[in-house]
Amino acid sequence: MIIAPSIPFPILLALLALPAAGQETQVNLEARTGSLQAIAFSLSTQDGLDLDWANVHFGDVIRKDLSLTGVFREMPVPSPQDPNVKAEMESPFANGHHLFLKVSLGKSASGGYSAQAETLDPRAGKSIFGKSYTGSEAVLRRMAHRLVDDLVARITGLRGVAESRILFAKEISSGVKELYQVDRDGHSVRPLTRLGSLTITPSVSADGRLAFLTYKAGPPELWGQQQPDGPFIRLYPSKPSQGGTISTPVWSPDGKRLAFVEGDRRGNTNIKVLDIASRRVRLLTDKSGINTEPAWNPSGTQIAFTSDRAGYPDIYLMEDDGSNVRRLTSEGKYNASPAWSPDGSMIAYVSRFESGFDLFVYKLAEGKAYQLTRGPGSSESPAWSPDGRFLVYTNNASGSSRLYTTDLAGNAPQQLSDISPTQSPEWTRSR
Amino acid sequence: MSKSTIVAAMLVAGMSLSLGLGCKKPEPVPAPKPKVDDSDARARAETEARRKAEEEARRKREEQERAEKARLADMEKAKAFQRAAEAALKDIHFDYDQSDIKPEDKATLQGIADFMRSYPQAKLQVEGHCDERGTVEYNISLGDRRAASTVNYLVGLGSSRDRCSTISYGKERPLCTDPDESCWSRNRRAHFVLRK
Repeated sequence: MIIAPSIPFPILLALLALPAAGQETQVNLEARTGSLQAIAFSLSTQDGLDLDWANVHFGDVIRKDLSLTGVFREMPVPSPQDPNVKAEMESPFANGHHLFLKVSLGKSASGGYSAQAETLDPRAGKSIFGKSYTGSEAVLRRMAHRLVDDLVARITGLRGVAESRILFAKEISSGVKELYQVDRDGHSVRPLTRLGSLTITPSVSADGRLAFLTYKAGPPELWGQQQPDGPFIRLYPSKPSQGGTISTPVWSPDGKRLAFVEGDRRGNTNIKVLDIASRRVRLLTDKSGINTEPAWNPSGTQIAFTSDRAGYPDIYLMEDDGSNVRRLTSEGKYNASPAWSPDGSMIAYVSRFESGFDLFVYKLAEGKAYQLTRGPGSSESPAWSPDGRFLVYTNNASGSSRLYTTDLAGNAPQQLSDISPTQSPEWTRSR
Repeated sequence: MSKSTIVAAMLVAGMSLSLGLGCKKPEPVPAPKPKVDDSDARARAETEARRKAEEEARRKREEQERAEKARLADMEKAKAFQRAAEAALKDIHFDYDQSDIKPEDKATLQGIADFMRSYPQAKLQVEGHCDERGTVEYNISLGDRRAASTVNYLVGLGSSRDRCSTISYGKERPLCTDPDESCWSRNRRAHFVLRK
């Protein structure tokens, strides 16, 4: 499904500005599209492995990963069966300054598989990347992902996210939602919870601990893990909830604190932070109205959040002790869902236009917002990829809410998975 | 052995037992009983035992009837309670992104406050719900605001806060999913559930 008109490559004016009156047009948030690195890829086999089998189970995984990196575009290889390296490098294809990734898959001594990867740079006339990978059949896909991430790190200095995963909540039946995870390439969907109740808003710490909101006991409570792969336990409140609203758990970057939202009897909801070791809770906002959607900066010193204190939902920033509150957005009548980029320089958020939301990115240094999506449907809950190259979000233009990714260069968003209805994706390397 | 002799034996045993209770002194040696023909006494005891057994059966029967009547009365009461609850506990609705009680819902809330007064044992859970427009998290807060606003209004009408808990489902449990105002307005609601 295409949720934005397909844009011819290369694209020059990638990002268009907020359409609101009085806004100046913002273009070219990131003109990366034209500089995609061309790469040719060929897979060969050893030890009697069937090449067709190897292509389906390993080669195609690498191909899809390469196409998803936002770094490479694949070029065809003239003779994939038996690539003559020298001829290849001197062929007309080499004139496109493309890299050439050669991977050979064979059997390992331990009964699994072994892959030798090499990347040639025709311009340099030499190999610029060589690495071998070994693993059982169960981790064959993962070997492919790791290879591509290593290659992206070698070429760009910033590791790719092929091996990362996206966590999300999915509706199972009316009023029942559970948490799932899926590989970045849309493969290997796995359930994370089986609580049989409304379970939503996953957060995952840097060391892989989950936190989420569940109504399994009736009133909503924050549950999650104290250790990676540990059992799910109630994180807050310390005793079973007797009612009232608790929501939106978000791990701090160091995983020692959990920001969340709690309501009072007047119906105000405020942001609090639970220190996991001491069990102490600190109130950060103390305002009437709605204060929610806490989002940590990468160093854990500031929190972006949504508040309706000025009459409409808008994004604000504050220090992690609740001081120095300042307003970030003021255009439009509904700005929400802040998500701080991994390098700290940008805040992604949603803003309402007509009946749905579109994605925006606010560049803190410039003090300007850029629009990333333009319908159709509502685009919600943006979350950054760990490398900051992409956002994952949900869009409902197909009639049901599905996961999509978009880069910052204005390329057409891509559907990540056909699973639906989904909500609240989180992108992590740690699971 | 006939039933009546068992009862008589039990009665005698019971009597001797009760006589023995609290008596620390060595038991007096019973005077030798006069040797009489005891068939009359036995007949009297049997009659008495029969009478007592019948009385006991009647008493049990009456008790059962009373219990059955009370059970039926309780059921009637519970049914009346359910009927009153169903009549009173109607959803109320809200404007977009608002939590104020609308004038057209004030009669409904008065009915709920009256119901709470008539049934002092009743406890309510007030659920706040939202339409699909808005973020998941913001709508949880908005649903909470609607539930709290509803409870505060009921407290203003004399309902006890202790008997009204709140829960927000945000936009997670819609009644309908069509992307139009007629559906959205149905979903922007406070829903009332009896709780234990």
